[in-house]
Amino acid sequence: MTTTDHAARAAARRSAKPGRKVLIRVKRCEGPGKPSRFETFAVTIERGANIISCLQQIAANPVTVEGTRTTPVVWDSGCLEEVCGACTMIINGKVRQSCSCLIDEYAPAEGDVITLEPMSKFPVVRDLWVDRSRMFHNLKRLRAWVPIDGTYSLGAGPRESPDAQEARYKLSTCMTCGCCLDACPQFLLAESPASWDTSFVGAQAFGQALLFNSHSTGAQLKNDRLEVLMGPGGVVDCGNAQNCVKVCPKEIPLTEAIASLGRAVTIRGFTRFFTS
Amino acid sequence: MTTAHTQSHQGPLDRNYFLLRRLHSLTGVVPIGVFLLFHLTTNASVVWGMLDSREGEALRERGVRTFQNEVDFIHSTPFLFLVEIFGLWLPIAFHSILGLYYAKTGKGNTASYGWAANRRYSLQRLSGYVGVLFLFYHVATLRWHWTFLMPGGVAWDGERAASTLALVLRGASEAALEAGASYTLGGVIVSLFYMLGVSLLVYHFANGLWTAAITWGLTISQKAQQRWGVVCAGLGVALMALAWSSLLGFMTLDPKDAAAIERSHSGHKGPAMQLGDSQH
Ligand code: HEM
Ligand code: SF4
Ligand code: SF4
Ligand code: FES
Repeated sequence: MTTTDHAARAAARRSAKPGRKVLIRVKRCEGPGKPSRFETFAVTIERGANIISCLQQIAANPVTVEGTRTTPVVWDSGCLEEVCGACTMIINGKVRQSCSCLIDEYAPAEGDVITLEPMSKFPVVRDLWVDRSRMFHNLKRLRAWVPIDGTYSLGAGPRESPDAQEARYKLSTCMTCGCCLDACPQFLLAESPASWDTSFVGAQAFGQALLFNSHSTGAQLKNDRLEVLMGPGGVVDCGNAQNCVKVCPKEIPLTEAIASLGRAVTIRGFTRFFTS
Repeated sequence: MTTAHTQSHQGPLDRNYFLLRRLHSLTGVVPIGVFLLFHLTTNASVVWGMLDSREGEALRERGVRTFQNEVDFIHSTPFLFLVEIFGLWLPIAFHSILGLYYAKTGKGNTASYGWAANRRYSLQRLSGYVGVLFLFYHVATLRWHWTFLMPGGVAWDGERAASTLALVLRGASEAALEAGASYTLGGVIVSLFYMLGVSLLVYHFANGLWTAAITWGLTISQKAQQRWGVVCAGLGVALMALAWSSLLGFMTLDPKDAAAIERSHSGHKGPAMQLGDSQH
């Protein structure tokens, strides 16, 4: 986030008056394959209100601005402190977590409108709730774990240097929210799991592949991961639009991870050609 | 492991996916990008050639002569046709066909996310699309002599390189010029298409060089990517300058003056040069 963004948001927070009414425009959809429509709700804003608290008000009294009683809006959330990623949605056209989205920053004046839409690259379950299981499928596809399961004790693992730990820590903060995928022009909606083995993996799983490739025990599966990354949907399909790194709420250096994997598959390609 | 299993139902395109991807990237730089560099430098000789002017020469004369020398030099390359096919046309066809296919796998979203790198991503694809059209038109008309695509039916003639190029950009045959025409509407359109096509391809190459470094894993840190970005932008500006100076050079060249210079130029090279003249 740029400093001007920060300054603009701080200014908006200072000017916002509690007790004002704000319009929340929600893209509604009753279920997979059903048509969607917009409904607008007027919400009274308290100091510190966020999108989830507004959705709670709407759930308590689901009446649109036209006065029509409707069904409560469905959404997903968990931690309410931007660490689980469940509440991710598109707010005013950009993807982000809704629990950490302050109304004072987005709608500082009476009558301001905030538009909420479900994430665009995952199948909608209902309203703002999407099914993000493709991300977990992709973690499995890339074997994004440390292989330690066995029938006997493997003893202590290799020593890890503090520098390596430091580098991996950033990558490990990924909360599988999917912002990086929703904003990526190469990652497209794929309703059917049948295509998930060849469709673009995206930055989230690239980060995790690098995390486990740079872990001394995790590296046992390094070549398996690289093989997947060299195939259809792998890191070779990244188009370097670099939206992923811009929208990642955890500020994970995703484009550096992509370039590192690019180097790793280049080396793997030569090794494969000349030695195996 | 499962990779062996998943490979068993993959077609040859999927099995060689990595190789094709890397060859696409490589062909963009070598030979296509390197050719672009030489090609634009050669073309701009109609301008930088003037730096070499002799005493008593008209202002544009040495430019026309230098350009003619460059063209003659290229045409004297042994097995030129084979070099063209394997060094240029096949790599360009390969890069273009795969490029069109890859471009179709993405869906630009600059309306929601208007960041610079994202706009460059979209422009890389747009410049590819326009680039194929432009390159096809360029090669078909100038190299394969599909004169029916040329306003005024002008044919480029390697023996009279500069003057016929000036005619091409004016969209006017020599006869039309005699009758007092300067630029025809068709010529204006061709000239604008050249400006657009060449600029987009220069952008495409410069930005491609930037992304290729990430693709291959040469630039990893953000700092390194920025540093290489400055180099690529610098190269892009230099190539733009070459491209525009040659275009403006040919567009402002008087075809009749240039033809007169070329006649005296080919004169000392023997009777074979008369062939080009006899066509007109
Ligand atoms: C003068 C002609 C051309 C040059 C010098 C050139 C050069 C390049 C270079 C250096 C790259 C970067 C490769 C990478 O990121 O790894 C590239 C990418 C690309 N080129 Fe070209 N190219 C040319 C013509 C074309 C044409 C005619 C198309 C047809 C559509 C095209 C489509 C693409 C696409 C879609 C990419 C992006 C690939 C990706 O990021 O995965 N290019 N080009
Ligand atoms: S850099 Fe690659 S993964 Fe990130 S947004 Fe762009 S195309 Fe997607
Ligand atoms: S990399 Fe960042 S944006 Fe992507 S899923 Fe993880 S936390 Fe979310
Ligand atoms: S609810 Fe967990 S990130 Fe918002």
